[in-house]
Amino acid sequence: MYTIETALKQELRDAEASALIKKAGTYFCIPVQSARSIHLVTIEADLTKDDLERVQKEIFTNPVTRISSLAPLDISFDWCIWIGFRPGVKDNPGDTAMEAVADLLGRPFKPDEGIYTSRRYCLKGADLTRQDVEKIAQELLSNPIIQRYKIFSRDQWDPKKGADVKPARVILDHIPCFDFIDIASDQTLSQISDQRNLALNARDIPIIRNYFLDPGVLAQRRKMGLSKPTDVELEYISQARSDHCNHNTFNGIFRYMDVLSGEKTIENSLFKTYIQQPTLALKEKKDWVVSVLWDNAGVGEFDEQNNYVVTGETHNSPSNMEAYGGAITGIVGVYRDPMGTGLGSRLFMGSFGFCVGDITYDGPLKPPLHPRRLLDGVVEGVKDGGNKSGVPTTFGQTLFDAGYMGKSLVFVTALGIMPKQVAGRPSHEKKTSPGDLIIMSGGRVGKDGIHGVTASSESYSENTPAGHVQIGDPYTQKKMHDFLLVCRDEGLIQFITDNGGGGLSSSIGETAMISNGCLVHLDRVPLKYEGLDMWEIWVSESQERMTIAVTPADLDRFMALSKEHGVESTVIGEYTDSGKLHITYKEKTCAYVDMDLLDKGFPAWEFDAVWLPPETRGLFEPVIRAPKDFNALMTAMLARPNICSKEWIIRQYDHEVQGGSVIKPLVGVNRNIPSDASVTRPVLTSKKGLAFSQTLLPWYSKIDAYHMMTCTIDEAVRRLIAVGGSFAHIGGVDNFCWPNIAYDARTNPDGTFKAAQLVRACRALKDACVAYEIPLLSGKDSMYVDGHLEGAFGERVKVSALETVQFSATSVIADVVRCQTLDPKAAGDYIYVAGITKNELGASEYYDMFGKTGRNVPQVIFAANKILYKAVEKAICLEIPASCHGVARGGIGVHLALMTMAGGLGMDIDLSCVPSDAQDLPDEVLLFSESAGRFLLTMAPDQALVFEKLCRGLAVRRVGTVTTQNDSLKIKGIQGDSIVDLSGKALADAFNKPFGDMI
Amino acid sequence: MRQVKALILTGFGLNCDNETALAFELAGAQSHRVHINAVIAGKVRLSDFHILAFGGGFSWGDDHGAGVIQAVKLKNHIGEDLLSFVAAGKLVIGICNGFQALVNLGLLPGLDKEYTRRSVAITYNDCGSFRDQWVHLTAAPKSPCVFTKGIQAAEFPVRHGEGKFIADPDVVSALFANRQVVFQYADENAHPAEGVFPLNPNGSVQDIAGICDPTGKVFGLMPHPEAYNHVTNHPDWTRHKQMQKRLNKPFDTKDTSGIQLFRNGVDYIRERFF
Repeated sequence: MYTIETALKQELRDAEASALIKKAGTYFCIPVQSARSIHLVTIEADLTKDDLERVQKEIFTNPVTRISSLAPLDISFDWCIWIGFRPGVKDNPGDTAMEAVADLLGRPFKPDEGIYTSRRYCLKGADLTRQDVEKIAQELLSNPIIQRYKIFSRDQWDPKKGADVKPARVILDHIPCFDFIDIASDQTLSQISDQRNLALNARDIPIIRNYFLDPGVLAQRRKMGLSKPTDVELEYISQARSDHCNHNTFNGIFRYMDVLSGEKTIENSLFKTYIQQPTLALKEKKDWVVSVLWDNAGVGEFDEQNNYVVTGETHNSPSNMEAYGGAITGIVGVYRDPMGTGLGSRLFMGSFGFCVGDITYDGPLKPPLHPRRLLDGVVEGVKDGGNKSGVPTTFGQTLFDAGYMGKSLVFVTALGIMPKQVAGRPSHEKKTSPGDLIIMSGGRVGKDGIHGVTASSESYSENTPAGHVQIGDPYTQKKMHDFLLVCRDEGLIQFITDNGGGGLSSSIGETAMISNGCLVHLDRVPLKYEGLDMWEIWVSESQERMTIAVTPADLDRFMALSKEHGVESTVIGEYTDSGKLHITYKEKTCAYVDMDLLDKGFPAWEFDAVWLPPETRGLFEPVIRAPKDFNALMTAMLARPNICSKEWIIRQYDHEVQGGSVIKPLVGVNRNIPSDASVTRPVLTSKKGLAFSQTLLPWYSKIDAYHMMTCTIDEAVRRLIAVGGSFAHIGGVDNFCWPNIAYDARTNPDGTFKAAQLVRACRALKDACVAYEIPLLSGKDSMYVDGHLEGAFGERVKVSALETVQFSATSVIADVVRCQTLDPKAAGDYIYVAGITKNELGASEYYDMFGKTGRNVPQVIFAANKILYKAVEKAICLEIPASCHGVARGGIGVHLALMTMAGGLGMDIDLSCVPSDAQDLPDEVLLFSESAGRFLLTMAPDQALVFEKLCRGLAVRRVGTVTTQNDSLKIKGIQGDSIVDLSGKALADAFNKPFGDMI
Repeated sequence: MRQVKALILTGFGLNCDNETALAFELAGAQSHRVHINAVIAGKVRLSDFHILAFGGGFSWGDDHGAGVIQAVKLKNHIGEDLLSFVAAGKLVIGICNGFQALVNLGLLPGLDKEYTRRSVAITYNDCGSFRDQWVHLTAAPKSPCVFTKGIQAAEFPVRHGEGKFIADPDVVSALFANRQVVFQYADENAHPAEGVFPLNPNGSVQDIAGICDPTGKVFGLMPHPEAYNHVTNHPDWTRHKQMQKRLNKPFDTKDTSGIQLFRNGVDYIRERFF
């Protein structure tokens, strides 16, 4: 065993160490005077001295930048921290090092050999205490779930032994086996379910027992040497019946009651009523909708030759515990969905949505990770996952609310493109047939990610197992992606799906339904290390794997391409039409159940939903008299965390790889104002573009989740229209994140209310989608966004997130050169407000600043907005406006400021001209009301006539003029007095203040 | 008519191959995206091509220094072929991760025509993180680089976490003396950035953004010319278009300076080889 230590030469800037010094200072006021980082590569293999030197020199030691040594580097310190992965945690650099060393030396690694990476930080600081260094190790550098650390003072350090690194090899001293499970009574099975973390629903247990006790079933099983159910079988049922896989909540029965109106309704399936039915109806109506509601992602038409694919996911629970690992696994994971849609699409963009607690929180509650650290981690996870996948991250939002400290939300969205026809077949169709081989491609299987889906179907508590936290590997997946696209184009793929939640159990279990059976040899599944039990192999969620059906005739070609691309692929079984899910291990059957077992009358979940309208909950408009200092108010609004610049996050994400960037996530003269939507050319030889927007407005759920949902969708549509999107083609993706809705008098006393909020949000979803003709191309739900956080006295306080929906919207743009951005472009242009401003400050950013909620939540008037949106679409198509911007969170005031900064020009505004529904709306309402359906536009004066004609009869009015770059944002109040006069610099200073130094 | 053939390497985490191939096509070449393993296995021969492109991406995840493992693997398996390709006077371009691979192979800077020595490095950005931003570049007017002929200034995006060019002062002096410094980060008036962030996005010494070998036929740069393959790639294009409109001029959607760079390479091959 050898450890190579390398470090940047002393005279070079060590950015990693600098970041550490900065964070230690700003987060904890710990004064580190200087630091250096050392990379350790521990090689557990017998290498000759020459080979070792060659490896050290050629791979690990850049002669220009690094020093290296086979003994601990003699770098002085007051304290040294060593950080290494725990055994079994994915060590991506360790794996690439092995690949490189094996290639250089022409010798493969044996099963008991390996390479492991770790880090060492040499800190200097006269005043540093052990306590300080522990804090740095624990709260900046490592997470006990995935890492280990050691701390050395100068005196403790043995210069020969160094950090004394042991290989992080997994050794499971265990003979793989499977167990039979006792089903003597419901109670026995229930107990076993708890012990084994099966998370079986109590009401499912009798059905499961009935099946296995059925004489006919028993007779068939006996022929295979089975009687009582095996752990493999029960794990399969547990995965398939989990809320994550089966969407029990959305398919559940809701007894809804409105306490005010007395309305009582039974909702038999929110999914069928509010998602499936309207989407299928729209599919009939809209030619561009190609495939919805069954595959890994929805499919829409892009142009005559190509279809696009879109889906969105969340990765909340793992990110909550290990932010980097959770987020990178999330984005890399969602990228497998388009890869597994139809016969496989090529990824062309992704996006993110982060919802975290207050990053300056210093109260008594102890979340698993402080929101600040959590945000750092998820930002970095999506950076590595997205950038290394070679997929541009063209859009993203970050928002803050105290509720997300219970569980943070990490939304990730993926879009792909595929030719309509591949090898003479429609690319969106696929099936598994008896005789097709089942192939697993990509990564290997380990213990990681076991019970991920059942864990994500629970609230966070001190007992949440950490085993489901993983670290995604975009490198392995990128190789696999390249490989699969070649296979697709050669017509080698009959069926493809990804291994995500539930692992092989879900991917094979679900795809074998199509052929009606399968035979799987679990002993053929390649493992990361020996010693996994059969059920573990079956349900492991180890990442970067796809399940593919290939005909025996195509096998050789498939395997040859796999080898050329450096991808591991293994035949692990075949699809059959036996009607049975048949699993063996070394020729011995360990599962043999009917494919239709899951249709055996498992009961729907049931919920009571009691709606308490806002007026019954003591919500009133707050009494806040007119502000006097609007300049200070405006800058305070711009500096609010949910409004201010998050450029530092966006800049870290490659948003233009693949060369198709048209509208970037940040626009304006200083390229720092978030754009309404992104536009990308997925087909570089086409004039067409794909516009993409996302919206999150969870605050409105404080008043009514119905209006949260309609406002969210309305804004997503408005954003698309603002950049040049087409109202005739809007695709939607709904991602629900909801606190637990199952009532329990002790643990969830407001469960019925949250259930009613869910029903209302679903009703709104349908209302909006029908009104705007938006088919839901894809959607997911994550139902347990609560946390039980330890407080000052050892108590645990439940913290629930706001009822949140991220809505993503897509549109196809006929010719990208007609797109528009939000920055005013010339002095002298006219400024218009389109859409009516009402007294709708309920749950607004303005009220939030005063700690108020109010009741006047914005309400969407679909019919009126639809006419206005079509008019604006027409105007952009005719190239009338010089800029267009949808008014969103913060209202007209905030969005005029954003446009002022984006254009680098002044603006003169007269608030008395703003179209409103009442004569007497005060200045602060006109400025900060968040009424839906509004735009700000600028245009050359010579375009005004035709624009006003186009908008005749609509609430569209000229409110001012764009002024020169030396001018400021000047706003005249309704009394005719100047209330705001702020230079672009003053606005920018406020906007950049919270995060400006994050770079 | 004979075709100028460009080989664009793919695989192992590289990711700009499609748009690089498109850029060469728009510039008049015939592009072939070829997996590194296909070249190593001899299924595709370098000698059948005129231009070899090392594109952007994260080869081997950039885990042990950007471009390092790619360079070690290529040197190990097809090192001689690469040297013959260069010796034949053909063109090599390395963009971002490709540039990093070229300096680790030693094909750049190729001082004294020594094409295996690592004498410069591209390391972590001073700002400490990956950055995607557009940069202004100023081109050395008398550089021998065939790709930048006629280009005085350009704007392309950089997208990297390791783009800081460093070398010993005497190496840097030699590069300037030989006019091997092709592109420097600059301000909007094409005046070198003088290290000022974010004009110089990574802290490169002397604002170096791209260099060539002494012959000008091997060229590496951190910014991505292939990402400026269409007018709408430019961050200010909606403003450019509006200004043209005010002048009653049509919006020119033809060549970009990105494609011009590739066209220079393709034209050079036509002149010298056909």
